[in-house]
Amino acid sequence: MAGVLQGEVLLPEQIADLLGLEGALGAAVGALIGAFVVGNVMLAFTGVAGPWAKRKITAAFTDRIAVNRIGPFGLFIIIADSVRLLSKELIIPDGADRPSYDLAPLILPASAMLGFAVIPMGSLGPFNIQLADPEAGLALVFAFASIASISLVMGGYASNNKYSLMGGLRAVAQNIAYEIPLIVTAMSVVVFTGSLQLSTIVAEQSTTLVSIAGVSIPAWFAFVNPFAFVLFLVANMAEIGRNPFDIPEAPTEIVAGYQTEYSSVYFVLFYLGEFLHVFLGGAIMATIFLGGPAGPVLPGFVWFVIKIWAFFLFTQWARSALPRVRIDQLIEIGWKGMLVLSFANLVLTAIIVGVIA
Amino acid sequence: MSVELPADTDAVQTPEEIADLLGDLVIGREEHLNAPGFVIKPDTVVDALRRLRDQAGFDHLSCVTAEEYEDRYESIYHLTSYDDRTQEVSIVVPADKENPVSQSANEVFRTADWHEREAYDLIGIEYDDHPDLRRILLPETWQGHPLGQSYDQDQPQVVPLREHQNPLLEDQKADNDSETMYLNIGPHHPATHGVLHIKTVLDGEQVVDLEPDIGYLHRCEEQMCQNSTYRYQIMPYPDRWDYISAGLLNEWAYARTAEELADIEVPEYAQIIRTMGAELCRMAAHFLALGTFALDIYGDFTALFMYSIRDREKVQNILEELTGQRLMFNYFRLGGVVWDLPEPREEFFEMTRDFLDDLPTALEEYHDMMTSNEILQVRTVDTGVLPPEVAKSYGATGPVARGSGIDYDVRRDDPYGYYENLDWDVVTEDGCDNFSRLLVRMREVEESAKIVEQCIDLLEDWPEDERNIQSNVPRTIKPDDDTEIYKAVEGAKGELGIYIRSDGTEKPGRFKIRSPCFSNLQTLPEMSNGEYVPDAIASLGSLDIVLGEVDR
Repeated sequence: MAGVLQGEVLLPEQIADLLGLEGALGAAVGALIGAFVVGNVMLAFTGVAGPWAKRKITAAFTDRIAVNRIGPFGLFIIIADSVRLLSKELIIPDGADRPSYDLAPLILPASAMLGFAVIPMGSLGPFNIQLADPEAGLALVFAFASIASISLVMGGYASNNKYSLMGGLRAVAQNIAYEIPLIVTAMSVVVFTGSLQLSTIVAEQSTTLVSIAGVSIPAWFAFVNPFAFVLFLVANMAEIGRNPFDIPEAPTEIVAGYQTEYSSVYFVLFYLGEFLHVFLGGAIMATIFLGGPAGPVLPGFVWFVIKIWAFFLFTQWARSALPRVRIDQLIEIGWKGMLVLSFANLVLTAIIVGVIA
Repeated sequence: MSVELPADTDAVQTPEEIADLLGDLVIGREEHLNAPGFVIKPDTVVDALRRLRDQAGFDHLSCVTAEEYEDRYESIYHLTSYDDRTQEVSIVVPADKENPVSQSANEVFRTADWHEREAYDLIGIEYDDHPDLRRILLPETWQGHPLGQSYDQDQPQVVPLREHQNPLLEDQKADNDSETMYLNIGPHHPATHGVLHIKTVLDGEQVVDLEPDIGYLHRCEEQMCQNSTYRYQIMPYPDRWDYISAGLLNEWAYARTAEELADIEVPEYAQIIRTMGAELCRMAAHFLALGTFALDIYGDFTALFMYSIRDREKVQNILEELTGQRLMFNYFRLGGVVWDLPEPREEFFEMTRDFLDDLPTALEEYHDMMTSNEILQVRTVDTGVLPPEVAKSYGATGPVARGSGIDYDVRRDDPYGYYENLDWDVVTEDGCDNFSRLLVRMREVEESAKIVEQCIDLLEDWPEDERNIQSNVPRTIKPDDDTEIYKAVEGAKGELGIYIRSDGTEKPGRFKIRSPCFSNLQTLPEMSNGEYVPDAIASLGSLDIVLGEVDR
């Protein structure tokens, strides 16, 4: 198994070594450069995903061609779109509650970027791409991810628009209802690993579960406990607000929800933030259920990228095919269904692990 | 004839019996081409309509036409029956020229609410006991009544909103202690399918009160028709009422009324072409209804929308071959159609057959993705419920009525064109909810396909020397003075009726359009009050309104 690198040297230290720096200075410079690289890679993904991949994928699902005029496969639409979006007028409504109106679009992408700090993204050449590997990595990444809902409420409330307000309130209701099942389901993985450290969780999954005709199936938790995987997938879709749970935005109902009043750069930031959260959701899925960066032949980082893009593809698929649930139905599914199932899953896993171990 | 006849009712059949029933309420008699007319006093409207509804089965107030004459104002209530469309009666209510007051029919038929508001707005008749007599199409501050005789077109109409109605002003703000929130949905909103303004009062996410505010797309279609000649000038306008590819259906409404008015025969061959074209239009319109309903339920980039647009595109291509146009067809003429099927005919037939052959697969796909989807079912079943009695009181027709289990279709109940010679069924669903209305439209596409297929077969075998597409119609048409007629066809959204009073010239004296969407939209508060915002939006989608037809 390539790419599983528990206990290896992390990216900031590698950079510091490369530059020949030591001590606190080395740690600081290494961390800054590392964060810069990782952050930009993620931003580049969203840059490709937002204006181009999303269009192409949706088009494929809906019998269309989508962008194909500018550049190869229409790829230069990314540049055209950036120019278009950034050159628009930034409209701030009368009565907007500043500075929370201005802060909301910053918090959303920032919270997602923070989450990537602890994700083990595997190796690429000599580099082990992980910025930090704290003991409580899993708790930290959930904490970062859920800051997003604060941003949505802030934006929704500060816009002084009734549609925005409804969007913000929906976002809170949805996040509370789905965060608990999400984390409780993740805990069932921790029951196996006994550690919140993400590198440990990845390493645990590198063992072989079964060997069928010489092909060894790794002990990814998606294979070990598929039920938890499905639960987590659904809760994750709700957490990041994608179809069929896109009710905080719900175009055709509440116009665009919390981002109704946002334009230009602020809109771009919200848009980026949403995509970053989709990728962060994919990264969490990959890390705790799909063996992190593990995979044959290709470098670990490539496998990691494939996995988070696969999750992105899945969200777009759902977007093209599934109706949106109603707000009361969403809450009902969350509290009466997901919560019960996730606790049942946790208790059962604990019992089974306890009996075997 | 394979179409089932409506059941015979015990209802009063002859004009004499109706006259007996109305008794001393009748102060005069008129004869309209479609129905007997009874003149009654303006303060006996409720009494007369209630007797007709309860004792004679006239449970459908199809339309209210108002007009100003030299010596009087007049409202005409066009009544018919959901059980037997051929039973028609007109109740004529003259009102005083100086003080035009007439009793409101709202107590008997809820649909009178909007119809009378329109009459008040455009003509100027005041209705006593009307719950909410305000302008409906024009702004509330409008001066004068545009279809009245003393209307001064040069009168300036500059009334800014901020002086008239400004929700930001202190004295117009809602009570601060209230538990509810007022929300404007539209006129610019992704789900209003045009320019519709819905004044909504919300309690949390639930709708407490909801009122559609229409008139943003009012284009004076009635007056434009009154200023045009029967022979050629009016026909292009109907295309612009329900502009969602239902053009031929609308044209047929005018063609049917005018042909009956001027006593014009239509050759059988032309009737078959008309029937085929109209049903193709109905399919295109229903595909779009399906797609936009999917937008409302699924979100902005659902595959279903593109799929239904793709299938509508195929129909549009066929219609383009047939009429030369893709949207504003202008294909019907009084006495027939403007030209024959395109040459080579075989290619046209093949194209249409290909489409019909692919249709079952396409519909199967819709059923897979839509009606059998569980999320869609929990979203639409038992939401937007419209009980049949309520639907009838509001004059709901078309798929909306049939989705409430009302077995009513003008094509069968008051046959025209070639429908009565073809084998097809009227589709009804008993669920009364959004899901039923969706199912009705999907099944109606199948029925339309059956009709088109039979028409194609007939056209293919039609002898070459008998392909008569137009009868001999005089260059100018001048129906006799003071002839009145109200006729309807089954449009894509329901009963599309037209009232014409001729004044002896080559232009109509009064031209009134009964729009199905206008009546259907009236039911929205009934369906939405107490439900969640997303369901109100879904109900609006399931009504399938076209604002061009609502506002005319």
